[in-house]
Amino acid sequence: MKTNLRSLLFFLSPALILLSVFLLIPIGAAVYMSFNKIGVEALIDPQTISFVGITNYTQIIFHDELFRKALLNTVIVLVIAMPLTVALSLSLAVLINSKLTKFSSLFRVGFYLPAISNTIAVALVWKWLLNGDYGLINYLLSLVGINGPQWLTNEHTAIFTIIMLVVWKGIGPNTILYMAALSSVPDSVKEAAEIDGASAWQRFIKITVPMLAPTTTYISIMLLIGYLQLFEEPFMLTGGGPVNSTTSIVMLIYNEAFKYFNFGYASAISMVLFFIIFAVSLIRIKLTKLGS
Amino acid sequence: MKKNLLRQWQKRGTVLSLHSVLFVALFIMCLPFLWMLSTSFKTSSEVLKFPPTWIPHDFTFENYVELFKAIDFIHPFYNSVIIALVSVILSVIVCSLAAYAFAKFNFKGRDKLFMVLLGTMMVPGVVMQIPTFLLMKALGLINSYTGIILPGIASVGMIFFFRQFLSTISNDYIEAARIDGAGEIRIFWSIILPMMRPALVAQGIFAFTASWNSFMWPLIIATDDRFYTLPLALTQLDGQHASNYGLSMSGAIVVIIPLVILFMFTQKYFLNSMNIGGVKE
Amino acid sequence: MATVELKQVTKEYPNGYKAVHGIDLQIRDGEFMVFVGPSGCAKSTTLRMIAGLEEISGGEIYIGNRMINNLPPKDRGIAMVFQNYALYPHMSVYENMAFGLKVAKLPKAEIDKRVREAAEKLEITELLHKKPKEMSGGQRQRVAVGRAIVRKPDVFLFDEPLSNLDAKLRVSMRIRITQLHKELQAAGQTATMIYVTHDQVEAMTMGDRICILNYGKIMQVDTPLNVYNYPQNKFVAGFIGSPAMNLIQVRVIKTNGGVNLRLADELELTLPPAKAQYLLDYDGKTIWFGIRPEHISLVNADDNTTGSTIHGAVEIVEQMGNESYIHFSLNGVSLVARTAQFGSQTLQQGQDRVAFRFLLEHCHLFDLDTEENIGLK
Ligand SMILES: Nc1ncnc2c1ncn2[C@@H]1O[C@H](COP(=O)(O)OP(=O)(O)OP(=O)(O)O)[C@@H](O)[C@H]1O
Ligand SMILES: [Mg+2]
Repeated sequence: MKTNLRSLLFFLSPALILLSVFLLIPIGAAVYMSFNKIGVEALIDPQTISFVGITNYTQIIFHDELFRKALLNTVIVLVIAMPLTVALSLSLAVLINSKLTKFSSLFRVGFYLPAISNTIAVALVWKWLLNGDYGLINYLLSLVGINGPQWLTNEHTAIFTIIMLVVWKGIGPNTILYMAALSSVPDSVKEAAEIDGASAWQRFIKITVPMLAPTTTYISIMLLIGYLQLFEEPFMLTGGGPVNSTTSIVMLIYNEAFKYFNFGYASAISMVLFFIIFAVSLIRIKLTKLGS
Repeated sequence: MKKNLLRQWQKRGTVLSLHSVLFVALFIMCLPFLWMLSTSFKTSSEVLKFPPTWIPHDFTFENYVELFKAIDFIHPFYNSVIIALVSVILSVIVCSLAAYAFAKFNFKGRDKLFMVLLGTMMVPGVVMQIPTFLLMKALGLINSYTGIILPGIASVGMIFFFRQFLSTISNDYIEAARIDGAGEIRIFWSIILPMMRPALVAQGIFAFTASWNSFMWPLIIATDDRFYTLPLALTQLDGQHASNYGLSMSGAIVVIIPLVILFMFTQKYFLNSMNIGGVKE
Repeated sequence: MATVELKQVTKEYPNGYKAVHGIDLQIRDGEFMVFVGPSGCAKSTTLRMIAGLEEISGGEIYIGNRMINNLPPKDRGIAMVFQNYALYPHMSVYENMAFGLKVAKLPKAEIDKRVREAAEKLEITELLHKKPKEMSGGQRQRVAVGRAIVRKPDVFLFDEPLSNLDAKLRVSMRIRITQLHKELQAAGQTATMIYVTHDQVEAMTMGDRICILNYGKIMQVDTPLNVYNYPQNKFVAGFIGSPAMNLIQVRVIKTNGGVNLRLADELELTLPPAKAQYLLDYDGKTIWFGIRPEHISLVNADDNTTGSTIHGAVEIVEQMGNESYIHFSLNGVSLVARTAQFGSQTLQQGQDRVAFRFLLEHCHLFDLDTEENIGLK
């Protein structure tokens, strides 16, 4: 049946208008802004906006030390946290899915808790728990004779603490994704391998893991997009410090835009971030294709 | 006989180590929540006691009382509830309408338009936030519910999810309804929407969680504390009442608990909603 | 007056595929018309154009005296039963049946009356409060029919409504729908029915007339018996009847007395004069020779009636209980005979020189190029 235009508009226009105003046009605007110098004066007098060509970009890429630091920090988080989250999620999923495991729904809910919990609320308690002098974590460690580090206030450990926290938050949902994927691996395949004489570990590596590849790809891409946009944890726990050791790219953008009101420059960084996300996702997808 | 016994012990050992690993993991995952909960019921003197206690000696509600009485936590709570509810309702309506059009109508450029929208899912949120902030500023919508809610209503992810769901619904229902004489809007309202129920609930919960926990956008656009949502109010607790952990932990509990309860009751739907994209292939 | 008339109707899908090539068809008031044909022959497409679910690319469709090309489905006076029933899953049976009437803003009492009447007729009154999920396939099927009845349409459209049922239910539902057609007519309601199926048993048993389609064209429209006995072309001959009519290429050879058909190699059949008269212009040409399995019978091996008895080798015997299908070959050409004869049970695979008699007065002859039946003009 041919669709009539009136009903089509009825269904489509609310979403299309909103998406245009808050998604498509802003993306275009961000591109435009990234080639301009737009300061706080522009809020009052748009005349002060001046076209600067690719200056913002050259500044970011060649001269901005802080950007380099933030990029490095973000990449460190990505490179360590992503494989770690994937590995832990998969291991936990396998353990929970085991026929021997009791209380599996307790574990499922428990592991999921961090994911639905407000990051700000959780950051409050972590900040305290991880306090080097009177935090609970170092107290618990001291009980077993370990002298805990200054988790958040040491320039060299802070980033790893952040990594721990994002992994902690990321495990739950992915464990559940893996559990669903695991239960969709047909028993017959595993049984066939067992009859062929493969050990449990061989079966896992040679059969289960490859069959989970689509899930792993999906999870990695989602994690990658999320981790490259790291913001709330450093914002709450370290404020980017100490000595910018935990400043992330998004945090840098936030500061440039809403603290220093360099809207043009901030937009340029956000475009760079977009390209990074795009490129890394592409690489990840290519890797999958190479693998198969 | 002996061999059998050995096997049994072996199995018991496996079961034991399996569960130890899982319970240790569970403890780590839940540690902050247990600590939060315990602290929130402690008196201010017990909070900083060393060595720390797990079960409060003098069980007290004073932190919660203060949270809602002395510092105004009710207002942000109210804001968060209103914003989350309105966001969810509008999102679900707008997105299900659009998804229906994308799934069941034939129009020129449909698939291309949809691909463009899907493509924007790669664009980090912060890219849009700067121009949107400037737009809101120009419209005078800084510090308003509208300003907080409006940009998040139409969600590409939700439209995608609904479209996937709708594509599993046979066109025959729509045609049967057409023969029954129902108009397009009636078909959507009386036939399609009821059939979409599980998807609506799943995405509704998902959107509620996202709105409830959203931080960066409210942070940008709500500068007046009359429009603070719970996460913003929590950051205040971190600043002003730095040493009063009992208070900030009770605040954290108040922010977290509603979602935990929601999650408990709607686990099935919630888990469904995140099961998209992965797994099946 | 609920006649349905199709004039030069064509359908071209948006992707450029031409599904229907100019169909002309007149369906009489109150007639039960069956569309039958192989999968993909555009039965559904044609039905859906009548329903208004598919745009008509060319030609005109009339219901009664109205040209309905541009009317929406609800204004065409039709009701439709879908293959998978398409019962609204969230509504009870009652609500399912009432939905269309509610949309039409009928008074509540009238809706209730119609739903209950229909439910009674279909014996689903106890199911009225149930949801589709809670019912068996046969019950759902009846509800789907009920949903059509309550609308009191001029024309009922069915698209393979029984194909999701098991064989037994199919038979009883088949009878029920035929009965329904008779009842509605007896009650003075117009009940023109158009029924799509690919099951030829349904087609033969249910239809007042059958319309056989192939590749978007009508092959023949006639009563079931006429279609069976006088197929207009090779397609219809091969399509209707089970097991299918034997169709083989033969050479026409004029002899001094009449006409012989040469099968494989030396084997020849002599046509009776009634048939031979059509082949006067075909001397030396190849034509299609068709004969139904029941028109080949087993005879004693020493029966040597020349011209109609041929010896062949048995390949397989399928025992149906009341009859058997004997697959045999004549110098490489495979044929089927259908017989109730007791003697067939003693036949064995590979048995040679079994005598088959062809009842040639029942044979059909088709032109090689046009595939039209040569004996029907
Ligand atoms: N929407 C469409 N777009 C393009 N071609 C279509 C469309 N629907 C059907 N066709 C094609 O039109 C032809 C007729 O389809 P139709 O569904 O009418 O067949 P049918 O006779 O009902 O077959 P079946 O017995 O399998 O139901 C088929 O070749 C089909 O592939
Ligand atoms: Mg069909």
